[in-house]
Parts: sequence; C-alpha cells; structure tokens
Amino acid sequence: MPSATPRPDDSTVALRSPSRPQAGAPTVLKIVIAGGFGAGKTTAVGAVSEITPLSTEEYLTEAGADVDSLAGIEAKQTTTVAFDFGRLSLPDAPVPLELFLFGTPGQDRFVDLWYDLSRGAVGAVVLVDTRRLESSFTPVSFFEDIGLPFVVAINQFDGAHRYHPEQVRTALELPTSAPVVTCDARDPNHVAGVLLTLVGHAVKSASAGPARPAATTTLQDA
Amino acid sequence: MRTYTLTRGRTKPRHLLGLETVLDAGTGRPGPGQVAECEEILALCREHRRSVTELAGRLRRPVTAVKILVSDLLDADALVVSVTDAYTASDADADERPTTHLLAALSVGLKRKWPDAVGYPKAG
Ligand SMILES: Nc1nc2c(ncn2[C@@H]2O[C@H](COP(=O)(O)OP(=O)(O)OP(=O)(O)O)[C@@H](O)[C@H]2O)c(=O)[nH]1
Ligand SMILES: [Mg+2]
Repeated sequence: MPSATPRPDDSTVALRSPSRPQAGAPTVLKIVIAGGFGAGKTTAVGAVSEITPLSTEEYLTEAGADVDSLAGIEAKQTTTVAFDFGRLSLPDAPVPLELFLFGTPGQDRFVDLWYDLSRGAVGAVVLVDTRRLESSFTPVSFFEDIGLPFVVAINQFDGAHRYHPEQVRTALELPTSAPVVTCDARDPNHVAGVLLTLVGHAVKSASAGPARPAATTTLQDA
Repeated sequence: MRTYTLTRGRTKPRHLLGLETVLDAGTGRPGPGQVAECEEILALCREHRRSVTELAGRLRRPVTAVKILVSDLLDADALVVSVTDAYTASDADADERPTTHLLAALSVGLKRKWPDAVGYPKAG
C-alpha cells in the first residue's frame, strides 16, 4: 500500500539527515491544489506564487510494486507524473512563514503522490471546472478519506454554465462542513481568498478534534 | 543524460527527504567527480534555500534522482537540511498537522499580503 513519505524502504537509508536550526528561518507550510485536467491548477499556483510555477517530475510507481531500478523503469518507459510547485513568503505574518503550493492533477494514478503531499499539509483546494465535474470525485474522496481539510473552489470559466455552489455540493456529495466557493484562478485576490477559506476551515477542523488517522482507503486499488 | 547515469546506477536516496524538505548551502565541498548537477544544486541553494521539489523542477530531473544527489551533498556537508517543517514543531504523537497557532499566523500573513482578499465565511 502506498505509505506516507518518506519511505524507509531500505535498511541503509534509515537516518534522517542531521539538521541544523537556522535562526529566523521561516516555517514552511504547504497546501495542495488538486483538480482535473485544465481546471486552472497552474494558473491558481501562479496567481499567488513568487516564482513562475515549476513543473516537477517524479516517477510513477505502481501501488505496492517495488521499484528495483531506475534503469528498469526507463526501459519499461514507465511514465512520470508532473506536478506544479510554487512558493510565497509571508514575512509580515506574526511568525515568519513560507507557503509552498503543490498543484496536482486529479487522476487516480496520482494517489501515491497525494499521500506524500498531504502529510503535514494545511489542507487542500480542489479546483472544479463545472464542465467536467466528474474529474473532481477522485481528489474529493481521497482528501475526505485521509481526513485532510479541503475546500472546493469552482472556477468560473467563460461560457460555462454557472452552477450555484450548493448544486456542486450536492453533485459531489460533499459533507456540509466542507466550504464551497467560486473563484477566478487568474485573480490573486480570489486565490488568496480561497486559501484564507481553507485556513479558516483547517482551524475549525483542528478544534473539532484530531483529524481521523490516515485510514486505509478504497482508492488504493483504484 | 539518462537518470541512471546521473545517479551512477543508484535508485534510492540515502537520506530521508520529503518533497518539501528545504536545503541550505553548508560549509563543506562536494567530493571530486560529482556530476555537474551537484554544482547546479549548490549554486541554487547558495542563492536562496530551496526545497527538494524546487531543485528538481529547476534541474528538470525527477525528484528521486535529485534526492540521490542531495544525499551525496548532505554527506559532504555541502548542504544542510533547514529545520522548517511545520509539523516537527508540534507534539510528535499528535496529528501531523500544523498547529492552530501556525494556522492563525498563516491567516494573518495572507490577509496582510492581500488585504482585498476575502475568505468565506467572511471573517471580521
Ligand atoms: N475564465 C477563466 N479561465 C481560466 C481560469 N483559470 C484558468 N483559466 C484558463 O484555463 C486554461 C487552463 O488553465 P491551467 O491553469 O493551465 O489549468 P491546469 O489545471 O493547470 O491544466 P493541466 O495542468 O493541463 O491539467 C488556461 O488557458 C487558463 O488561462 C478561470 O478561473 N477563469
Ligand atoms: Mg497545469
């Protein structure tokens, strides 16, 4: 089963590097931005990031299958998954913070990566393109299953039918606690507003008691 | 160049590194015979501390390959891991979530950076 990263999958790798506290180094927080193909993930990351979103690759490992050799991977031409990375510093926060944003597609084959990204995260934003609502099911049920606070942000694409947030809530069978908002992923104020909504929701979830442990989920075999 | 060559056949990083692990330049020098990518990593980290994901993105190399090179540089003290993971600050037995204290700070930081941003439900 996919485990939370990092994986001590080899007895020679078991030690975390000695770390050295850096005085005044900002604390890093991370947020996952998930959504279907073309839902506006890269746009949303870029709207608030201080760097142009980077596209980063990682090998796609089959759940449960151990990978013996990168050479073997390449020979089999196993694909890689690509995800976005952006960051922003918040020097005016009460404690210096740096926020990492990870944008990741919504398909099942990304589930392994989502475990890694979700560990220690503030929460997740699921970007929804109402023209392809069904592509939001996988990330929504994933975050629900592992108990990571998430909000649903409906991207208002030009020419798309405008759904009321409550219609989207019903269609996605969202719990009443999960906020559903609309946004324009190109607008930094909108994206920052979505992040604020998520943070508020994460605070509420935290005070409502500890999140459920990362449970075994039905998605693993998906 | 193939990843296999880049990492000299190694497939697993020797250090446990997360996608968001942040690296700072250290005082050591990498050993002789390092691939050019190691110098690139060092140059990037001297400029600004960088996460594993950012390094992989900038080098256009898969994360696993970059973790293997970063492990070499950590062993040579050419890089050090920056202590920044939010959840290491909290109770080790607790959930690996940022503390509500950090979440509150994040909220304030975001509002200061984007005073016109509105979160829902609207907070006063
Ligand atoms: N009208 C409108 N267009 C948007 C919005 N967000 C993104 N777009 C446009 O939609 C297109 C796709 O956006 P991307 O940010 O590339 O979407 P993505 O989710 O990263 O796409 P993939 O990585 O290919 O899955 C781009 O042309 C954006 O300019 C939005 O909120 N409103
Ligand atoms: Mg994209």
